[in-house]
Amino acid sequence: MEDILKRFRGFLLSNWFRVLLSASSLAVFIALWSLYSAWLHGDWPFPGSPRSSTPSFIPYPWQVLAAFFNSFTHQESGLYMTNHIYASLKRISLGFALAFCSAVPIGLLMGRSRNADAIARPIMELFRPIPPIAWVPIFLIAMGFLWGPAAIVFLGIFFPILLNVILGARSVDPVLIDAARTLGARRVDVFAKVVLPFTLPYMMTGVKVGLGVGWMCIVAAEMLGAVGGGVGYYIYNMAYQYGAFEKMYAGMLVIGLLSVLTTGVAAFFERRLTRWMEMN
Amino acid sequence: MDGNELIISFKHLSKVFTKNHKEIRALDDFNLDVRKGEFVCLLGPSGCGKTTVLRIIAGLESATGGEVSLRGKSVTSGGPDRGMVFQEFALFPWRTVRKNIEFGLEVKGVPEGERSKTSSQLIELVGLKGFEDVHPKELSGGMKQRVGIARALANEPAVLLMDEPFGSLDAQTRNLMQKELLRIWSATGKTILFVTHSVDEAVFLADRIVVMTARPGKVREDIPVGLPRPRDRTSREFIEVRGKVLAELDEEFEKARTKELPPD
Repeated sequence: MEDILKRFRGFLLSNWFRVLLSASSLAVFIALWSLYSAWLHGDWPFPGSPRSSTPSFIPYPWQVLAAFFNSFTHQESGLYMTNHIYASLKRISLGFALAFCSAVPIGLLMGRSRNADAIARPIMELFRPIPPIAWVPIFLIAMGFLWGPAAIVFLGIFFPILLNVILGARSVDPVLIDAARTLGARRVDVFAKVVLPFTLPYMMTGVKVGLGVGWMCIVAAEMLGAVGGGVGYYIYNMAYQYGAFEKMYAGMLVIGLLSVLTTGVAAFFERRLTRWMEMN
Repeated sequence: MDGNELIISFKHLSKVFTKNHKEIRALDDFNLDVRKGEFVCLLGPSGCGKTTVLRIIAGLESATGGEVSLRGKSVTSGGPDRGMVFQEFALFPWRTVRKNIEFGLEVKGVPEGERSKTSSQLIELVGLKGFEDVHPKELSGGMKQRVGIARALANEPAVLLMDEPFGSLDAQTRNLMQKELLRIWSATGKTILFVTHSVDEAVFLADRIVVMTARPGKVREDIPVGLPRPRDRTSREFIEVRGKVLAELDEEFEKARTKELPPD
């Protein structure tokens, strides 16, 4: 922990100018947002009646921040924000686990066998261009409010992992496979001990990209209804049912943070694996 | 090498590659016998198929015609009885030196205790003590190839196949590695089939130098070196043999060059 703090301080010291630039840019954005809110609300420095019939569309930044903290300490129709996060995480995890466990073996096979590629490619190309969100209605009707969103997330995460694993499996240096074969490796050994380790960093790139897509999918999937809550459901509900836009924005903030957090963890492992692979 | 057991035998070996619907005859009627404990260098102009010969005996490539046998048995696929050392080192970057060396044993299902015993001996043999837990990236080219040699030896192969193993090393390292290889050779008594395009290297290392013709490759001349070891590169005898081999090779280089420039 101390080490991290020290490194953070070192980073600030050696990059202070750019840190200052970034901080100013953020400050200017928040100031402009506040001014726009003030103008809509007819508050200082724009005294008068509200300029818009619904100034609540753009609440003040601090209102959003307050709503964000409040959502963790106060229940909203019986649910804390943590309940919503848990519900969304459950759906994402299910979809992610299914996508990972299927995309990795299929990707390895497609990357290493032209026959496997010929079999799977047309089906893959048929489904890949369809946005996962297009499946929302049918999946929710057919599979319900847990497996439906999970299936949509599955579709969102499956393809990024699959494509990266195929790329990784194809990039294996042929001389490494030759070496393994001359050392007595059978096909299974080549797969498990050469192709798979070589593909790991690519796999993590797919996971990183996939998780980002997964969070997009979950919001869309939960908007049409969710049993036991969900952050997407919260966002939709706060806007449509309650007109509590500061809460809606707080929900968006939560989704953003979750996405950054999960892809950040994936990016961390990706870097570690790449270093372990010593590809750069 | 007095009438020892026949280890490798190529009879009327031929290999045709098909590339873009065009047939390329890489090898044609290639014949060679290698006996136990011999150090044989394959020498020839680039593209003459010397690497193909190695890849066929290694089981990485199949012959189009003819026969390849290893200790009397026909070769159809790869196997741990042939160890191969690559010019590109071909080390697994995610494995430490020790783990690279143990790869073949791992695949064979040798228990861990025995594996580490074997790898420790090999690490000692190739002079990598203290580097057991280092990853290949941190090693110099010469040290990488020491790992490559140890890894190939771990399976106790009947023959060591070396495909220009020192081709990407600088001159000093290369000379050092040649001496090291001879030391390892005499310590293990392995049969070595060594591909190179350096005449100097072949004369320094080999019992016999097999000069190949330009494509399609066959044996042009089988030259016994017959110099006492350790060999002195500056001795008159060395230079004499070198001159003889060079003359043979030059003719083939010339042929290869004129072939590459089509008459039209």
